[in-house]
Amino acid sequence: MRARLALPAASLLLLGGWGCDRSAPAASVRPVTEVASDWFMDRAETSGLTFTHINGMEGKFYYAEIIAPGTAMLDYDNDGDLDIYLTQGARFSETAAGTRDSLGADLSAVARSAKAEAPRAKAAGSEVLRSGGRLFRNDLRVNGDGTRTLQFVDVTDASRLVSRGYGMGVTAGDFNNDGCVDVYLTNLGPNQLFRNNCNGTFMDVSRQSRADDPSWSVSAAFFDYDRDGWLDLFVGNYLSWRVESNTPCFAPSGRPDYCSPDVYQPQPSRLLHNNRDGTFTDVTAASGIAREFGPALGVSTADFNGDGWIDFYVANDGQPNLLWINQRDGTFKNTGLLSGTALSSHGRAKAGMGVDAGDFDNDGDEDIFVTNLTGEGNDLYVNDGAGLFEERSARSGLGAASRGYTGFGTAWLDFDNDGWLDTLTVNGAVQTIEALRRENDPFPLHQRKLLFRNPGRDQSGTARFEDATARGGAAFELSEVGRGAAFGDIDNDGDVDVLVANNNGKPRLLINELGSRNHWIGFRLVGSQAPRDMLAARVGVVRDDGSTLWRRARSDGSYASANDPRVLVGLGQSTSASRIRVVWPNGRTEEWTTVPIDRYTTLKEGDAK
Amino acid sequence: MLSATVLLISGCSSEPKTSMSQPTAVDPSTLPAVTLPDLSQMDRAVQQQIGDQYRALQSLIENRAAAPELARAYGNVGNLLMAANDLEAAEPYYLRAQALEPGEMRWPYYLGHVYMNRAELTKSIASFEHALRLRPDDVATLVWMGNVYLDQGEPELAEAQFTRALTAQPRVVAALFGRGRAALAKRDYSRAVDYFEQVLSSDPRASIAHYPLALAYRGLGDTARAEAHLRQQGMVEIGPPDPLMVELRGMLEGAVAEESRGVRALDGGDFKTAAEHFRKGVELAPDNPALRHKLATALSLLGDTQGALEQFQETVRRSPGFAQSYYSLGVLLATNGRQQDAIERFATAVKYEPNYVGARLRLAELLRQTGRPDAALTQYEQVMTIDPRAAEAQFGYAMALVQLKKYDEARRRLSEGMASYPERREFAEALARLGR
Repeated sequence: MRARLALPAASLLLLGGWGCDRSAPAASVRPVTEVASDWFMDRAETSGLTFTHINGMEGKFYYAEIIAPGTAMLDYDNDGDLDIYLTQGARFSETAAGTRDSLGADLSAVARSAKAEAPRAKAAGSEVLRSGGRLFRNDLRVNGDGTRTLQFVDVTDASRLVSRGYGMGVTAGDFNNDGCVDVYLTNLGPNQLFRNNCNGTFMDVSRQSRADDPSWSVSAAFFDYDRDGWLDLFVGNYLSWRVESNTPCFAPSGRPDYCSPDVYQPQPSRLLHNNRDGTFTDVTAASGIAREFGPALGVSTADFNGDGWIDFYVANDGQPNLLWINQRDGTFKNTGLLSGTALSSHGRAKAGMGVDAGDFDNDGDEDIFVTNLTGEGNDLYVNDGAGLFEERSARSGLGAASRGYTGFGTAWLDFDNDGWLDTLTVNGAVQTIEALRRENDPFPLHQRKLLFRNPGRDQSGTARFEDATARGGAAFELSEVGRGAAFGDIDNDGDVDVLVANNNGKPRLLINELGSRNHWIGFRLVGSQAPRDMLAARVGVVRDDGSTLWRRARSDGSYASANDPRVLVGLGQSTSASRIRVVWPNGRTEEWTTVPIDRYTTLKEGDAK
Repeated sequence: MLSATVLLISGCSSEPKTSMSQPTAVDPSTLPAVTLPDLSQMDRAVQQQIGDQYRALQSLIENRAAAPELARAYGNVGNLLMAANDLEAAEPYYLRAQALEPGEMRWPYYLGHVYMNRAELTKSIASFEHALRLRPDDVATLVWMGNVYLDQGEPELAEAQFTRALTAQPRVVAALFGRGRAALAKRDYSRAVDYFEQVLSSDPRASIAHYPLALAYRGLGDTARAEAHLRQQGMVEIGPPDPLMVELRGMLEGAVAEESRGVRALDGGDFKTAAEHFRKGVELAPDNPALRHKLATALSLLGDTQGALEQFQETVRRSPGFAQSYYSLGVLLATNGRQQDAIERFATAVKYEPNYVGARLRLAELLRQTGRPDAALTQYEQVMTIDPRAAEAQFGYAMALVQLKKYDEARRRLSEGMASYPERREFAEALARLGR
């Protein structure tokens, strides 16, 4: 990994290898000065992100069809820009002829369907469906006039990042501390760990690393829970489900529909300790997290009680969510109920899907946002700094406005760079929407995305979010079956873009046209011993007025997806940041005083002057 | 087309503006037609039921029936569609009913529920307000409206509705609970504690109240009391006395509706009624394995072992992959001393559902009890891998080792079990028997 200090964003981009295949049309991103009416523009198709997720549905309402996919933004080739991984499904076949994984998914079917699809697609001049998840290299180019040209090239085969089975989600982290980000794929069946060879290729080390959990996993997170400098791995497991044991379920009218999760047994999640030798040890029981589990769908890691040790929060589908507080001795204690984050304030367990932690009220601690089922509304849990939370879903406006939606991927993101974290959720139902079915919609689960702007605290100290969906642009008018979402600055222009993974559909790459109108400051936080992204490191940006904005390096959160591990902080109209304080995952604190704004700077542990 | 119709009807009925003056019914002939949604994928019984009501409505329209009669016919179709969870389709029927019979409280009340369930909270409040103008002291309407205000982040307005409800009918638990929630939202923890304590003293089964009560105690700094209530936290909901919604829920025919009623009876401990509902459901949907499984379970709980066995066997005959029925069969057979048969059923259950902890554990235990400790060890190991919480598997594993005379290893396993599950006394007791 090349450590870079104080390089402007543009020069980082020039390090990229963009002289490769440019068969896909290129997308020019508007320069900062141009005023766009839409805050986000979908550039997936024009940037070469040719991909269609297939969920394998055959009209049998197989429960697993509607849970994926996830997606990732990760810089796998260390060229300074974010590449993309998209997970893929497969067809479920009733015939037992195919190769089946331990959960009964027909693994050869996806290849067959791709083969069958290829001539037709080719003749139509459209995308050829390919089996398995896909890795797209970002060949971003900064033009002379400051505009950026995004172009993605499918490098799956060359990279040897070959998924097998029915893909669910993905997470990213450098588990072997070699400075190259590795990839963990969650599947309906054995998961896969791919070690980055630091030369553009990966090696499947699933079995030898002992990270090949055979359960149905959805979200996972790399985090160093024991502060030994090596990333451990939490694997969120969902339900026990197989094609053969699929239970028919019905709507109240008797019409066949997808089941609710309580029809199937939840599976325990796993905590894998990094042995520092390329292998993991399952410490699920020893760490105490085996004591309680539910059907896990989302996970977010953060230091929720402010003791300097990383904790994690698990969103369960229809059962109480879990807040695992690190006991600093290799064990965790679930404080979900007492902390006020397990249930709604009514006392009801909701269908937790996506989750993110972030300091939306700028008081220095990590607040939690969880997406839920239609009729329930999303939840905002506000931290008191010591790990006790108050549910403010209703008061913030985020609860009622989301009641008509089933939320999945989400994040705290400051999309307008005004210094306040906003939220975006991608949505899609899990049971038939009658109004759509009546219109003979072939997949009547689709819903629009939601965008909420945080205007800052009012006099009572409460933020009342504004529904900004209508300003989001045409992409926000699309109704799709949204699932995963990855958040990061894909064009390195200083604002957060969003990659949306749709079930049985095409991804959307929502390029932010708004954020770069304000000032910002960006960081890559790398370790001294290990030249990797120091996930969980916290950055305090002291602004002109003396106030401090705290943000965290993370790739987890959202739903089945991996985010940009860099930290991007909106400064609003501030033209400088007087000090930058970094709290490293090992507890050590450093301070920088001369960090330029409106660009990314790599801060290396131990290098503060 | 529906939405256009809805707008027209909204205009006709002057909903929600009708309130201040004495409302008058619209001329039925001015109402645009409303079509029936596609029913084709519904249960036959449901199709028949809704179709019959719709045809009755059409007949009344053709015969120029009086407005109140027509209103009830529209409302009946709306009720069935709402019971079938087709809220969009129900709405125009209710709007017509409301326009034709503006003095009837039921129609705006049901519309309030339609909008509440569609997350259109402002419209829901308007409809509930309309209903309250027609029946000012209706407790159910007041409680539901209070709940909607809470969801909107308006605890003061919510509290006013709950207070009105309590004035109309003192000690209504749902209104007390709402007041507690409103106080909690306002961080008035003392009052929240008072209200939630009243809820639990009025209805100790209302276990859902323990959680917000715990949060209120936490807000007062009383962590010990908070934790005590968290330990009692449950999911038994608190709803207002609501005859209109009870009536609506009982209207729909069809297998799923019978299943829902059966589950409610089962939860209430009324196994006989539950079995009756499940049996009706099975007659309507004989290939629904989950429904037949519930019938068998209810029969078993009634003590009708033979009937239960027959239904479980029929379930696996019709749905060979339905693992729960093999499990239940195994349990029944084992209870009746047919251990070998039970082993076969448990083995089939885990063949179809490898992560089925309950079935695998029962299989392991029966294998051990029938003198096959080696085979039992494998199953116990699998259980421990699937569910690390399963203390029974750890204990059973040690006991299988004892049977195999591997005493040292058994002692080690029991010691590990004592450390992992200090609350389980069987580990210490077995260790004592084995001798250290």
